[in-house]
Amino acid sequence: MTAVQLDNIWKRFPGVIANAGASLTVEAGSVHAVLGENGAGKTTLMNVLAGVYRPDEGTVRLDGIERHFAKPSDAIAAGVGMVYQEFRLIPTFTVTENVALGAAPAVLSKSALEKQVSELAERFGLQTDPGREVWQLSMGERQRVEILKALWRDARVLILDEPTAVLTPDEAAELGRITAAMAAEGRSIIFISHKLDEVKTFCDEATVLRGGKTVASSLSVDDLDAGRMAELMVGEATAVSQRRVRSRPIGDPVMDVQDMVVHDVHGRAVVAGVSIAVAEGEIVGIAGVAGNGQRPLADAIAGLTPTTSGRVQVGTHDLSQLNPRSRNEHGLAYVPEDRIGVGLAPRMNAVDNSILRTYRTLGDGPFIDRGAAEERTTDLIDRYNIKVGRVDEPLAGLSGGNLQRLLVGRELDDDPVALIAAQPTRGLDVQGVKAIQDILVEQAASGVGILLISEDLEELFALSDRLLVMHEGSVVAEFNPDSATRAEVGAAMAGAGGH
Amino acid sequence: MFGLRLAKRENPIRGGQFLAFTVGLLVALLIGAVLLVVAGHSPLDIYTTMADAAFGDPQAWSTTLNQAVPLGLAGLAVAVAGSMGLWNIGAEGQIIAGAIAGSWVARLGPDLAGPILIPLMILAAVVGGALLALGPALARAHLGVNEIITTLMLNEVAIRIVRYLVNGPWKDPASIGFPVAPELPDQAALPTLFERANIAVIIAAAVLAVFGYFAARSKWGFELRVAGSSEKAAEYVGISLKRKILTVLVLSGAIAGLVGGLRLGSTDRIVEGIAEGWGFAGIIVAALALMRPSGVAAVALAFGALRVGGVAIKGQGVPASISEIIQAIVLLGALGAAVFTTYRIDRAGSGSTSTEAATA
Repeated sequence: MTAVQLDNIWKRFPGVIANAGASLTVEAGSVHAVLGENGAGKTTLMNVLAGVYRPDEGTVRLDGIERHFAKPSDAIAAGVGMVYQEFRLIPTFTVTENVALGAAPAVLSKSALEKQVSELAERFGLQTDPGREVWQLSMGERQRVEILKALWRDARVLILDEPTAVLTPDEAAELGRITAAMAAEGRSIIFISHKLDEVKTFCDEATVLRGGKTVASSLSVDDLDAGRMAELMVGEATAVSQRRVRSRPIGDPVMDVQDMVVHDVHGRAVVAGVSIAVAEGEIVGIAGVAGNGQRPLADAIAGLTPTTSGRVQVGTHDLSQLNPRSRNEHGLAYVPEDRIGVGLAPRMNAVDNSILRTYRTLGDGPFIDRGAAEERTTDLIDRYNIKVGRVDEPLAGLSGGNLQRLLVGRELDDDPVALIAAQPTRGLDVQGVKAIQDILVEQAASGVGILLISEDLEELFALSDRLLVMHEGSVVAEFNPDSATRAEVGAAMAGAGGH
Repeated sequence: MFGLRLAKRENPIRGGQFLAFTVGLLVALLIGAVLLVVAGHSPLDIYTTMADAAFGDPQAWSTTLNQAVPLGLAGLAVAVAGSMGLWNIGAEGQIIAGAIAGSWVARLGPDLAGPILIPLMILAAVVGGALLALGPALARAHLGVNEIITTLMLNEVAIRIVRYLVNGPWKDPASIGFPVAPELPDQAALPTLFERANIAVIIAAAVLAVFGYFAARSKWGFELRVAGSSEKAAEYVGISLKRKILTVLVLSGAIAGLVGGLRLGSTDRIVEGIAEGWGFAGIIVAALALMRPSGVAAVALAFGALRVGGVAIKGQGVPASISEIIQAIVLLGALGAAVFTTYRIDRAGSGSTSTEAATA
């Protein structure tokens, strides 16, 4: 029985064709993966199914009946629910209030409503507390509230947009059980993902999009492997990632972090005594599931977060007491996880962002030498192949890859001694990832010591000289990427202990 | 749902603010013309009267400039804070604080010569405005207390203080019951520049030029814009947010205080209504200038001319309400048109908002 059938969907935006004849067929009672690079058209296609967009051409059928959704509520009424990456919940409302909002019976007591919500949650094994306010919940719990919202509206088709991106491994496994329970009731789940392993674990079939078109439909996940998936998504049989060939011997230590301890606002030790040394020309990789202390560690080394104790040395300088600016001036560059909003100032233009680190030295006295600033910008644009419309327009129009090349380029512009690169390729397309990885390799070859924090194991295996694993604020294991296996590293990430 | 909706432009129109202001002005004048015709007036005559009253001869210019000075400086006070994302809603109170401080100096040294007394009064006014802003600045910088609330509430405090002074200790015994302070010494009046304009025009022009250039070109102005764009980005490059918030809000108060000092030098005494709503009008000016200190002067001049023209047509038999409606439509038109520099109208369902496009 076919639950969803999208045929020959076209959707054009100004300057972009997001869907160019995409198709998708999902069987009732199955978990169906939709795979594709960033910009492949996955989210647009899902928004067509969810009634957010009307397709320019093509048909949408649910259970064989052709549908024309004018607005999202039409799709919801027809049984399509969507859980977006950014949750749409009201933080100060309780779980029950969020679930029933706009879809509650006219007269019903609060406790009766809460009871109904918890019954629904139990039916699908969704652990939640209906009386709690949403702001108190973890990301995984919030996601369960979103799923409950869809189930409350009796969604027959549930779309999950990269649902595991915000989850811990345990929560991800839990999600797998929930989707299985829903599929067992005959509901269909559409699971958007980039990650092969979770597709193979959670899904029955997979459809791959590329350039707005469907390039493979309803493949059995058993037929997918890393090479096949990359080939379908990228369009050519590229090797997943080439292991970096080191061009120089590892030198003396350039960055030394000792016994770093960071407490968060709740008094929890989010970094619990981490020591890391990075040598000249070395890339030290840090693997770990998101939220295990990588971000506060990077912020603490860069001086952005107050530390409880610990020491940071770059070259021969002790930076522990210095502010972020002085640390940078002593040769510590930082590509933060949040490109826009931390590494780059969103409402300012490319020139302003290019000189964010160096404006104090551009021009004598109180004024900035605009000529020198523009020269620096065009220089960065040329060297790092950044595509900008006009340098004097806000950054908002730039693609992720261009933004990241601007940020990385600017950080490397002053010949740093050491670089912290946090999730430097996350969210970029294949070309963008390669461009950034090439820059990192080149910088290591010229002697920069790099601390590479990533959630992409392939990237870490390809680039790192040493691979550390963080779990619950500590470095729990160290591996040699040439001899370690993915499974070993994965086990350490999950907290199973290293060696 | 209704067939049309606003969608964010991927690339805002360049130079759009000036274009929007002009288009908004024209549209508003057209709507105003319709109103005038309905009320039995010739729009052309009325608009000519307005233009003449604002720019027709030196006296008209001086009247317009007298409006533009407090508008521009109050607008600058709001825009300086606004360029780093802070809202000083308390310019009105800071103007009063400035006027109180200036009056106090004049009371202390009534026999000082003008060239000494006037600078002292202005300096005191600047300090007075800054002091009123200091509390909100400290609370915001160190405790994160919302500056909108604190600056707004201090307006009331300033109004009560001036009311107390002119009804109590500073009350002019010769005023026969009117709540006004005694006249300032003659030499406290600002020297005349031409016609009705005094040297406040020069002072305001200089302050606006210096701050406009400084905000746009200096390292200090750059840091303000970084902090206004993203606090985290400011921390990342080592800009001390606390110090910036503190200095910017106090500076904003100081500029508003200057308005109070200049008002005092352009009138004969301090009264309860010394601020006359200039502080609130400054918010409109700053908003129209998109919080850019360099754009404030032009907006203030246009706004000042509109006010002068609006008053002039009342003499032509145009009801005061229509005159005020025209002024309001022009402002709405300019503000409304600004929306279209960053948004466009789409058929519903066919377009995308920025967030949708970003995830598409």
